[in-house]
Amino acid sequence: MKLEILCAGIGGRGVLLASTILIEAAIAAGLKASASDEYGMSQRGGSVVSLVKIGDFKSPLIGRENAGILLSFEESEFYRNLTFLKRDGRVIVNTHKDALPGEVERLLKERNIRAYLVDGDGIAKQKGMIKASNIAILGYFSSLRIAPYSYENIKQTIVEKTKGKFLEKNLEIFEAGFRQAEGRDQ
Amino acid sequence: MMEKEKSGRKTDAEVMIGNYAIARGLVEAGIELAAAYPGTPSSEILPGIVEFKKREKMNIHTEWSVNERCAMEVAFGAALSGHKAVCMMKQVGLNVALPSFLHGRKKKMEGSLVIVSCDDPGPQSSQTEQDTRLLALLFGIPVYDPASPAEAADLAYYAVQYSFEHKVPVIIRPTHRVSHAREVIPLYPIGGRKVTLQEGVQKQQTAVSSQPSASIIDNRSSIIDETGSSPDASRLTAFGVVASGMSYSIAADVLAELGLANTVPVYKVVQLSVPIIDNRSSIIDDRETGSSPDASRLTPHALRSFIDSVDKVLVLEETDIVIEALTGDSKKIFGRRNGYVPGAGELTYDVIRDIIANVVNETKTAKVESVSDRAIEEALKGVHVQPRPPKLCAGCPHRASFYAMRRAFPDAIFPGDIGCYTLGISMGAVDTCLDMGGSVNLAAGFSDAFVQDGNLVPIIASIGDSTFFHAGLAALYDAVKKQKGFILVIMDNGTTAMTGMQPTPQTGITVDGTYTRTARIEDVVTGLGVEFLRILDPYDIPVMISTIREAYTYLNNQPSAISDQKSVSIIDNRSSIIDETGSSPHASSLTPNGPSGYEPSASNADNRSSIIEDRATSDSPRTSHLVPSFGGPAVIIARRGCILNSKLKPEDICDVGSIEKNCIGCKKCITEFECPALVFDEETKRVVIDDGLCVQCGMCLYACPKQEKGKKLQKQYGKGTTKKKAK
Repeated sequence: MKLEILCAGIGGRGVLLASTILIEAAIAAGLKASASDEYGMSQRGGSVVSLVKIGDFKSPLIGRENAGILLSFEESEFYRNLTFLKRDGRVIVNTHKDALPGEVERLLKERNIRAYLVDGDGIAKQKGMIKASNIAILGYFSSLRIAPYSYENIKQTIVEKTKGKFLEKNLEIFEAGFRQAEGRDQ
Repeated sequence: MMEKEKSGRKTDAEVMIGNYAIARGLVEAGIELAAAYPGTPSSEILPGIVEFKKREKMNIHTEWSVNERCAMEVAFGAALSGHKAVCMMKQVGLNVALPSFLHGRKKKMEGSLVIVSCDDPGPQSSQTEQDTRLLALLFGIPVYDPASPAEAADLAYYAVQYSFEHKVPVIIRPTHRVSHAREVIPLYPIGGRKVTLQEGVQKQQTAVSSQPSASIIDNRSSIIDETGSSPDASRLTAFGVVASGMSYSIAADVLAELGLANTVPVYKVVQLSVPIIDNRSSIIDDRETGSSPDASRLTPHALRSFIDSVDKVLVLEETDIVIEALTGDSKKIFGRRNGYVPGAGELTYDVIRDIIANVVNETKTAKVESVSDRAIEEALKGVHVQPRPPKLCAGCPHRASFYAMRRAFPDAIFPGDIGCYTLGISMGAVDTCLDMGGSVNLAAGFSDAFVQDGNLVPIIASIGDSTFFHAGLAALYDAVKKQKGFILVIMDNGTTAMTGMQPTPQTGITVDGTYTRTARIEDVVTGLGVEFLRILDPYDIPVMISTIREAYTYLNNQPSAISDQKSVSIIDNRSSIIDETGSSPHASSLTPNGPSGYEPSASNADNRSSIIEDRATSDSPRTSHLVPSFGGPAVIIARRGCILNSKLKPEDICDVGSIEKNCIGCKKCITEFECPALVFDEETKRVVIDDGLCVQCGMCLYACPKQEKGKKLQKQYGKGTTKKKAK
């Protein structure tokens, strides 16, 4: 199998942790996986992109309209990286809004791209750790059950990859993200 | 993650970045000394070596050098005396290290010397995208170009052994995509890695087996199969690809995506080395007989026969023309010289896909349709996308310094330097950015030129603390000796921030985390003979502005030249300076007091001016009796810890709510102060604070005309920083 995932967000908000969890979970599932990160010159608050490739690839880079999944941890970074998402792909956008701009909705529909709008910041804030909105998005993502990912193997990787005092909060937020997805309108 | 090993001695594997993979390969090869100066994308290799040496309980000497030349020569010294030594740097750092490299390559080494020089195609975080391989070939030194982190680990291991066996320096040249990619790296015990170069025509990608974890091992064993031999080279095909490094990996993925993996053969170049002594004589012979030198003689035999076996060859390499030049056969080649490959910039996935599609169509190898339309861009046209250009962090002390520099003299010339603070360019407080230490020398040159033209303009140069130690010392001493008239702001944030918080000599912290002697910037500056020195907290913007103006007054009151008689007495003067300044700082700097040697001195946000230390000696009665002060640059040390390293003290935290409350939408805080935590809301036409980024340093209050601090500043120093620059 081959799967290309683009994670996009801003510095200091856990984009690289999310991609780490994604490649570690894939490797634990017995697959080849690699990641490539772009974080530019800004240390905090700048655009961050992490490319995740699962399967038999040689390079860690993703071309235009090649990513099957786009995880946007911030809304502007979704637009900035939309050119990488292929037709029939799926995108999760961390936003408090209920709808995307009309032009974008039309484009996604025409390309058969499914978009899920999730208020990851809201979920994480409610649990008292706004910086962990990335984990809420991963919780939501796990509900889509896109191979090789499942609720169980992402959760297990979070347990292995996050440190002591944050672990409990992370799992709580992951759970909340997952449950939000389960309750979504089909 | 444990992996069972069938036959070899591999014990484990883990995910790591390419730079750690290189570190792992070096440690497994038994290196004994590693020295480096940090520089993106090379900075993580030395910390990786420290981690693995601790894990494996190895006795490896590791150090951050003050610059690349020190790193190279320390490593070279160890190599001469029989040790296995490595040094690491970024590609432009190799230029700094070159004096020893040119001559050193011919010295008889008892040990081994591996240089890791990381290239930055693009460039993403450098001034140029210079290609290390060109220098390696110029000096006739073998250079390895890894295509992935796993291969980088293997090549690092191999390079140490090769250098030790052949007694020649060797260069490893990873590009940033290799240095910063992450994948599973198998770990071997020390001395237990089995490596064979993957040079030559590569087997096509095999379908993923049902047991995917085995495929990692399969890939590795295939390395051994493919060695040297070029199975497909004999058959003549229309079109083939020669590629090296990350460009090889991308080309393989692109060919698989386009369904051409079995149609187009790819020759992978891993090692480049030109036996210059032998070939050069034959080239000279050619010249003497009137024929042009035959570049094809420089091509390795296997590569030559691959090129002979195809009608047309596409050469993909980063970043310059190297393999393409070596092959020489310009009629056959699609490359940079005939415009098929862009002459500058990174060869990204999209760039390589376009090149291959173009060449495949042109050679009629296959028909590839272009995938991209502009539909996505069209749909996004009306959508507001928050711009995120690179900016200094919210609360960064450099921003306060730059703001003060512009407010003090909006029309000044601002020579800048290399580091985070190069970003001051967008605030109009950095006019030049040449190389490490360049700000000081350029300022001196500007000073001379303006003096000659009789056109006196304030010159305010900036340099960071790590860069000052790296390349500023000799430059500043030169400027002092020659009495150049400029202001130098040393932005001392106590760390090498841009490359990931490596310690500077001032902190006295080593790469291992232990303490050693510290070197305080003020001691160095006074030791070099600077007479005007002020140390201040850049968060106190009014004081910084007035100090810069004071420095300019000082410069203008200096004699423009010194007579012979005076220069004799300068010697007396110098010794008296040492007497006067040697007292307090020296005593403390000799004790290994660790990070306390660096202390941001601000204690009270409202009373910051009290922290100014007047270290100038020119106004002391003793010196003024001897001679009029001998001029030279005025130095201001703007000292406050990097905001990523040290949280604000409670007394430094300001209430910034009034920025939102009193906003009149003039945008001065955004256009002149550029804090990323301030966002202009297009709907309400007012500034909004991003609580996730704001650290409540309150520096923006000085930039706002509606705040008390801003009003006061405006009264004293005029309206802002946007005055037209006279150039």
